[in-house]
Amino acid sequence: MASPRTERPGIGGAIPRFSWKGSLAVLVVLGLTGYSVTGTNFNIVELIRGTGAAERFVSEMFPPDLSAATLRATGTGILETFQMSFLGALLGAVVAFPLSALGTQQISTVGASRGERLRRAVPYHLSRTLLNVFRSVPDILWALVFVVALGLGPFPGTLALAVHSAGVLGKLYSETLEAVPSRPVEALAATGASGFQTFLFGRLPQAMSGFTSLTLYQWECNIRSATILGFVGAGGIGQQILISMNLFDYPKVATLVGATIIVVLIVDRFSAAIRQRLAY
Amino acid sequence: MQGISLENVSVGFGGVKALSGATLGVEAGEQLAVIGASGAGKSTLFRALNRSVALGGGRVAVGGHDLYALPRRRLNELRRRIGTIYQAYNLVPQLPAGVNVSLGEVGGMGGLGTLRTFLAGPGAGLSKKVGAALEEVGLGGKAGVRTADLSGGQQQRVAVARLLVQRPDFILADEPFAAVDPVTTERVLQTLLHLNREGATLLVNLHDVEIARRFPRIVALREGSVAFDGPPERLTEDALAEIYAGDSSATADEEAFDLSELRRGLERSMRLTEGRDGVSSH
Ligand SMILES: Nc1ncnc2c1ncn2[C@@H]1O[C@H](COP(=O)(O)OP(=O)(O)OP(=O)(O)O)[C@@H](O)[C@H]1O
Ligand SMILES: [Mg+2]
Repeated sequence: MASPRTERPGIGGAIPRFSWKGSLAVLVVLGLTGYSVTGTNFNIVELIRGTGAAERFVSEMFPPDLSAATLRATGTGILETFQMSFLGALLGAVVAFPLSALGTQQISTVGASRGERLRRAVPYHLSRTLLNVFRSVPDILWALVFVVALGLGPFPGTLALAVHSAGVLGKLYSETLEAVPSRPVEALAATGASGFQTFLFGRLPQAMSGFTSLTLYQWECNIRSATILGFVGAGGIGQQILISMNLFDYPKVATLVGATIIVVLIVDRFSAAIRQRLAY
Repeated sequence: MQGISLENVSVGFGGVKALSGATLGVEAGEQLAVIGASGAGKSTLFRALNRSVALGGGRVAVGGHDLYALPRRRLNELRRRIGTIYQAYNLVPQLPAGVNVSLGEVGGMGGLGTLRTFLAGPGAGLSKKVGAALEEVGLGGKAGVRTADLSGGQQQRVAVARLLVQRPDFILADEPFAAVDPVTTERVLQTLLHLNREGATLLVNLHDVEIARRFPRIVALREGSVAFDGPPERLTEDALAEIYAGDSSATADEEAFDLSELRRGLERSMRLTEGRDGVSSH
């Protein structure tokens, strides 16, 4: 504890004062902004000039096509998207779980021999690498791969979502497992429990509510992704949106997009509500 | 059965020396109270006795085995015979109390038994032993309650029940009376002494010197090494003053003005929130 009369400089003052580091950071951000603006032909004038075409496009969407055939097609597309996203998240979670368990660093290496450390490092790095590959390839690229391999339809789309979800969830799961309070885990290890046992009874119970919440969130993301996967022929409502766009059937596009927005909002709400309950 | 021995043991955390040259021998079946000011290294001593910290130097032997030289499998076998009650309980808060208690014997389970226990889930599959242990610490009806929902003292008793299920040959109890009322203190103490009478070697960390005096042998740590080792009769007021000298709560008087008073109060309340009782009165 500090002695009573000590002044404490540096505490208080939310606005940072001048510093070389801060100024340098500002310069770097400004430089990158300029560089990117020229690189992307970013042009506000062009954006404003383009509004006429956009207006025409939007006005042609109204009134939306609410015929029975279109509604039926919308329903089918939505259901398919829903099924793809759900299965994708579920399969992803099933694959992610064992990989994340292997990709979790053991805390207690006190007095472990070098051979022992090496034996633990191999599965750790293997599963981490695999998860990184799964995750860093975007789901739309996975969809392209699977469409080429398996043909058009929701099946390759589901696989694409599953692989990408496995990568994302695996990383987040293992981070959750590692961030769990370590003392109960150490206490278990101190009674002679094996690594598997400390994982099962020490880490897992503490990480479980985090897992559930992460999986629900991944499902939300999958719903949004699944609407796009159709653009590369991997099923779902996106495929119908693309076809209608190509046929200049804008009223039908309006119905399909409107329905997508509603479903995404509903799932977001639903999953957020559940996640809220889990976070006590 | 052989006891415990520490030879010139040092443990450091970064720059801080938690133990420096601690030497201590404990016979099998002995009972021992460990006292010392806050930060003297009592908890670290216990952590060195089940290999939960890396050793900076020296040698630790438990039950005749060189603890830090054992390969993993043999280490786990030995650890099953060492039971620990932690200052901060260290239970798994999300699990029901009954499951935490049954974790006392998880070390002895094979892969299949482990899975069965895991899948049996809360409430089911608790052995008679677990029920009896909870009964013994007065938590008979709490087996299904989430451990995090129990009070601090109740969690401490769950930790004692876990120890009862483990039936260790060596018991390391790190301030087991920190968060329990006097009646429970007596009860937990009797339970520990009972295990000792049945053959277990008992080491208890204590802040309460009065309770420590009920043990036939007291060891005091000061700045990471043994400063006193003997029967309670030899632990005079002078010896105590020496042991607790330099404890921050005892030397606040050099500070100026009433600020020192304020500070002392602050420290006292901090110590209370940590659930320990003060030593400044001794
Ligand atoms: N994990 C750790 N990292 C860094 N320093 C530590 C760690 N554990 C203990 N220490 C330091 O080692 C010293 C001894 O700590 P220890 O917990 O053994 O004290 P103690 O005698 O049990 O005190 P108390 O009575 O307050 O529990 C302290 O100075 C503490 O700050
Ligand atoms: Mg301590």
